[in-house]
Amino acid sequence: MRRVLGLVPVLLAAATIVWIFVFLLPGDPARLIAGGQGADPEVLESIRHEWGLDRPAPIHYATYLGKLLLFDLGTSYIQKRSVASIIAAHFPPTLILATAGVLLASVLGLVLGSLAALHRGRLVDSLILFLALLGTSMPVFWLGLILMLLFASRLSWLPVLGYGMEGAVIPFTDIRLPEWNHLILPAMTLSLASMGAYARITRASLIEAGTADFLRTARAKGASAARVFARHALQNALIPIVTLVGLDFASLLGGAVATEYVFAWPGLGRTIVHAIGLRDLPVVEGGVLFLTGIFVLASLVVDLLYLVLDPRIHYSATG
Amino acid sequence: MQRPGPRPSLSRRARAAVLVPVAMAGIAFLACSREAGSPKRAEQVFRFRMHEDPPTLDPALSNDQFSEAIILNVNRGLVELDPETLEIRPAVAKSWTISPDHRTYTFQLRDGVRFHNGRAVTSQDVAYSFRRLLKKETQSPRRFLLEPVEGAQEFTDGKSAEVKGLTTPDDRTVVLRLAKPFAPFLSQLTMANAAVLPKEVYDDPAKAYLRAPVGCGPFRFARWEQANFIELLAFDGYYGGRPALDRAVVRMIESRTSALQEYIAGGLDSLDETPDETDTAMRQKVGQEIRKYPFMGTGYIGLNLSLPPFRGNAALRKAFNYAVDKTYLWGVLIPGSNIPANGIIPPGIPGHDPDLPGYPHDEAKARSLLAQAGYPAGKGLAPIALWVNSGEGNRQIASQIQADLKKIGVTIVIREVDWAAYIAAVSGTHDSPGQAQMFRFGWYLDYPDADAILRPLLHSSNWGPAGNFGRYKNPEFDALVDQALALTDPGERAKLYRRAEKIAVMDDAVWIFLNYYQAETLYKPYVKGVVLSPLGEFRLPLERLRIERSAT
Repeated sequence: MRRVLGLVPVLLAAATIVWIFVFLLPGDPARLIAGGQGADPEVLESIRHEWGLDRPAPIHYATYLGKLLLFDLGTSYIQKRSVASIIAAHFPPTLILATAGVLLASVLGLVLGSLAALHRGRLVDSLILFLALLGTSMPVFWLGLILMLLFASRLSWLPVLGYGMEGAVIPFTDIRLPEWNHLILPAMTLSLASMGAYARITRASLIEAGTADFLRTARAKGASAARVFARHALQNALIPIVTLVGLDFASLLGGAVATEYVFAWPGLGRTIVHAIGLRDLPVVEGGVLFLTGIFVLASLVVDLLYLVLDPRIHYSATG
Repeated sequence: MQRPGPRPSLSRRARAAVLVPVAMAGIAFLACSREAGSPKRAEQVFRFRMHEDPPTLDPALSNDQFSEAIILNVNRGLVELDPETLEIRPAVAKSWTISPDHRTYTFQLRDGVRFHNGRAVTSQDVAYSFRRLLKKETQSPRRFLLEPVEGAQEFTDGKSAEVKGLTTPDDRTVVLRLAKPFAPFLSQLTMANAAVLPKEVYDDPAKAYLRAPVGCGPFRFARWEQANFIELLAFDGYYGGRPALDRAVVRMIESRTSALQEYIAGGLDSLDETPDETDTAMRQKVGQEIRKYPFMGTGYIGLNLSLPPFRGNAALRKAFNYAVDKTYLWGVLIPGSNIPANGIIPPGIPGHDPDLPGYPHDEAKARSLLAQAGYPAGKGLAPIALWVNSGEGNRQIASQIQADLKKIGVTIVIREVDWAAYIAAVSGTHDSPGQAQMFRFGWYLDYPDADAILRPLLHSSNWGPAGNFGRYKNPEFDALVDQALALTDPGERAKLYRRAEKIAVMDDAVWIFLNYYQAETLYKPYVKGVVLSPLGEFRLPLERLRIERSAT
């Protein structure tokens, strides 16, 4: 509970920092709302008044925080609908993409890392380490294009880009799922970068946890090697991986912008970047704050997962 | 409409894509033959790309090409501009008369015009839509297009409950009386903002129309998923006959590289951007599908006449003009998409003057004018800031101008910022100029009339943020532009515009005159009925398109 309460000042600080950055952006939102050049001064004035842009900064800030306390993220200057509804529309595609990316990365990372650890020092090991390094060091933007050129343009196995228009709609919501084949390339792009890191950490953790010793002992006792590997070695190695996956997942939710851009994915990151260009400030503030919240929550979940994974760790009531 | 970039710039105001025509008779014919034809006819879908979502689909609020591209297909006004011939044609109005004093416009509405919700359009809808556009609460950036109507300002200010000059004697007649003759009035009524809207939809306090517009145009709105697509469906009840296309899909794709791949893979039938001339492999793949055509727009470097060193120094401004090598810029550096400009009014617009000398590249002349301006070989001239909004094309242009001016001893500092920061630095406020001394700008004309470029950019009534960013003020120029508005003879008007342009170009050298725009778009060969409109790539009369895959 204390840890949960501890999130409040973090979010408050984040809200303030976001507000300051947004406040410092050059340019006049009212002018962009009114259509830039040739804007009627009367229209400009009425827009400034309507959105409170004519009020001094401290009052603006106070209003912003006040609304936040009521969970009101405001209304988009441009789209003229609530920021909450914009987040609700664009977060699901990002969440789906990040989930697919992280799942793919974790599975691949764990498998490759384990293989490398088990074949430590041999050719398989070196090959996997090389691949891992390659994945981590390739810029996502470039990687995405390469995958697109190969699998979509050349081989025509997968769609080039987009979310698709005909995916299923989740009942009782407005959320439409992507068409599954549209998801593959962007998810692969996202996962390849993380996969490298997971594989290396898995390998390192397994080696450190003395996998080889476990296995030797287990074999000596006549136990199944696979069982020992899963029960003892892998579980020990899992803690750093969970931390990494959790934080990675959280940052992918906001940091998938490059992938969203290359594949024209209708996600939240792209929406926020777009909003910055339009000086649609409520969307920028609300979006960034929402992602901060998600990040903080994800960290909390990771901490709680430790409890499950390692009985030695427990958070006492006194902190 | 402002367009901050030359061809390759990708700002939100920059380009979009598209299309094409066939005569109305052709459409009617197609409509018939289709019904009579095989029932298994493949669905006709046309998919094109926009960089990003249109900011709005509310006609009253539209102020950019993306929004207009959709609105002009969903909505109709009293009159429309043929995107190919630039003629003003009947739309919701079947005919109109103009009184001898050029102040009273009487429109007869066409029978059988229906909104997408099925209701018949009446003169009341026209009156409602015009009042809505004028209302202060609507906050329309294009309220000005009805400003010539008598009593419009009083209505906007809330001093009058009715617009005095707007009457509807019966269900099928709309009368507009102007305060004084205004030649481009009918042209202005062709703009997307003057669309006829159903009151029952647009009075909705929940504003559902923002996400689901309703009009009486050839296509009805179906779906809009932000950052993904907009889908339009043929409207069976369209007064001009059901369009040949069953469906049009706009896909939002920012990345040009990705969009080109999607076009090649067949996910797009048209694309508003083409591969660079230097990308020979791509050019080879799609070269046959590139359509090139001039359209009404002018690019320039604005000079802030309220700030030193340009204030009161025409010789310096002329020196800059002679120093810039436009032939190299548009012929070698950025080949293909622009024509070097000799002035302001682009070709195709009445008033364009092919004989205007302009400022061909002449370094010697530039040097001597620079000395005459008080800065021999650039001595005594502090570095000058040239502002551009971010984009590859703008960067190239700015660097070239920097290099050209360096040759005569002038130092230019380039400031590249995003659009919002740029427009703030360029426009300033009414009373104090923006900090930008020089800025790259482009302007696409909203309708084919010289007034649509000379007035917004250079008339003193639009001083400062209203559009005349360079803060040019010459009573003689103003008088000519005003005089031309009150005339109705096109030949006489063109003469006045030529004189006005000559003053601004040859006497005052208000900008560095750079280019007239040329568009380049990609169309798959099976897309028929394409209109290459001088109004820009986004003037898409979708109702004229049809898809003919291999069958024929």
